[in-house]
Amino acid sequence: MERSNPGQLSQNEKAVGSARDTSVNGHLLEGVVKVRGRTAGSVGVPAETSAQPSSVMESWKEERTRSVEDNEMSLPSLAAAYNTILRGLGEDPQRQGLLKTPWRAATAMQYFTKGYQEKIIDILNDAIFDEDHDEMVIVKDIDMFSMCEHHLVPIFGKVHIGYLPNKRVLGLSKLARIVEIYSRRLQVQERLTKQIAVAITEALQPAGVGVVVEATHMCMVMRGVQKMNSKTVTSTMLGVFREDPKTRDEFLTLIRS
Amino acid sequence: MTGGRVPTVRHKAEATSHHHQPGISFRPTRKSDFADTVQQQVKHRRRQPASMNGVCNQSMVTGVTDFQRFNGFAEHPAESKKAMGQRALDTSRKESEDESKLPALEAAYVTILRGLGENTDRQGLLKTPLRAAKAMQFLTKGYHETVYDILNDAIFDENHEEMVIVKDIDMFSLCEHHLVPFFGKVHIGYIPSKKVVGLSKLARVVEIYSRRLQVQERLTKQIAMAISEALQPIGVAVVIEAAHMCMVMRGVQKMNSRTVTSAMLGMFRDDPKTREEFLALTKNK
Repeated sequence: MERSNPGQLSQNEKAVGSARDTSVNGHLLEGVVKVRGRTAGSVGVPAETSAQPSSVMESWKEERTRSVEDNEMSLPSLAAAYNTILRGLGEDPQRQGLLKTPWRAATAMQYFTKGYQEKIIDILNDAIFDEDHDEMVIVKDIDMFSMCEHHLVPIFGKVHIGYLPNKRVLGLSKLARIVEIYSRRLQVQERLTKQIAVAITEALQPAGVGVVVEATHMCMVMRGVQKMNSKTVTSTMLGVFREDPKTRDEFLTLIRS
Repeated sequence: MTGGRVPTVRHKAEATSHHHQPGISFRPTRKSDFADTVQQQVKHRRRQPASMNGVCNQSMVTGVTDFQRFNGFAEHPAESKKAMGQRALDTSRKESEDESKLPALEAAYVTILRGLGENTDRQGLLKTPLRAAKAMQFLTKGYHETVYDILNDAIFDENHEEMVIVKDIDMFSLCEHHLVPFFGKVHIGYIPSKKVVGLSKLARVVEIYSRRLQVQERLTKQIAMAISEALQPIGVAVVIEAAHMCMVMRGVQKMNSRTVTSAMLGMFRDDPKTREEFLALTKNK
């Protein structure tokens, strides 16, 4: 399994400004990335320190992703694994309701991780426009569904994205598609937030980006502590959003209303 | 039949009629609703032993005694000792065996992660197979327990014949078709007939049946039948309203859709006014 496409941004995010080999889409070339301590404020403003757009776009082109053929080929082994799981749980896989469950569950799981099949460059390349607009653009209440990478249990919630364009704007649905690519993976909410923000930054070089993710984690609601109403909120503010408190305030007020 | 509650006359009449008949029916000469539905479902005599969860499937229920046996109840007192001995056999999974099943589950999850194209050696995924296996065991822990174990100690004799409702019970279950969660709220109401049950036991009954690989219709029916078997009440009503992640996260992707199922037994089925009262009391503003 040489596919090293999992979301490595937890280590990658610190190095996004420095390691030109690593692609923002989270593909990690082992040994290239310098791993720094994982503190919130340790990333410099990527808009200034990031690699030139051309090299980033090139590295995006080199991403290796899962393909539809890969999906088909791994389906039997996934189905067999689910069969083992059903037996291990004490169920009878031959009863009517469970007969095709291994296949359905395998296909469902492949769907829940279809973010590995897509490339940012395919989605974004066409929809970046030159527009003389420098006011805040916000797309809020984007429904997000992800999988907890620790328990393989769903996470769902809402994503709010805002950015201050710098002569280049992005098609609005592309923001939602960026959310889709990164959320349909085995994820950690912190990493998801950061990946979305960094992707927008890399694509547009805006004056600033703010991303807020508010989600419910089934691993906390259905098991473990079992707190039904708890929500986890993470945010990433880059550029002007980080430096200027008034901009940040405006963004946070607008997504709350 | 008027819209009022059951008069005391009924109990005297019942004393003279079939003594083992579950006391759900209003009229003593008519077989109970519960026995009716079960008898109608007796199409095949074939029984599948490990189908703990398939007991309420259309073709599986082969009689009242089978349902009771699978849940630890005996129809006649003489059978109760046999039922106790059978109780150990009635769960398809023992809690003590969970530990020994973990390695197989873990290996299966490693296969799944690799099959999805993930790198199982990265830091975030190192212990994921173990965690996912334990999580899955927790989410299906309903297979450990039988209703008999839970309810038998908390049934009290109480001269109460008004509706008892426990509503807004949070329920989390797993869709048996996609192994994806569905969750929602359960509202249970029953009209006792001399026997009431501890209130938290109703929530525990929900827990037992929901922490399994389920279909919402079957879940509703299992809860209703368990309560009616245990208490022989005048009527039982169960309403479940749930969101199915298999519909929200994939497939049609309808975010706000909810599935509502209900099971009405006994008085709740026969008398529309009783049913209305229950539904009005459990409606959330």
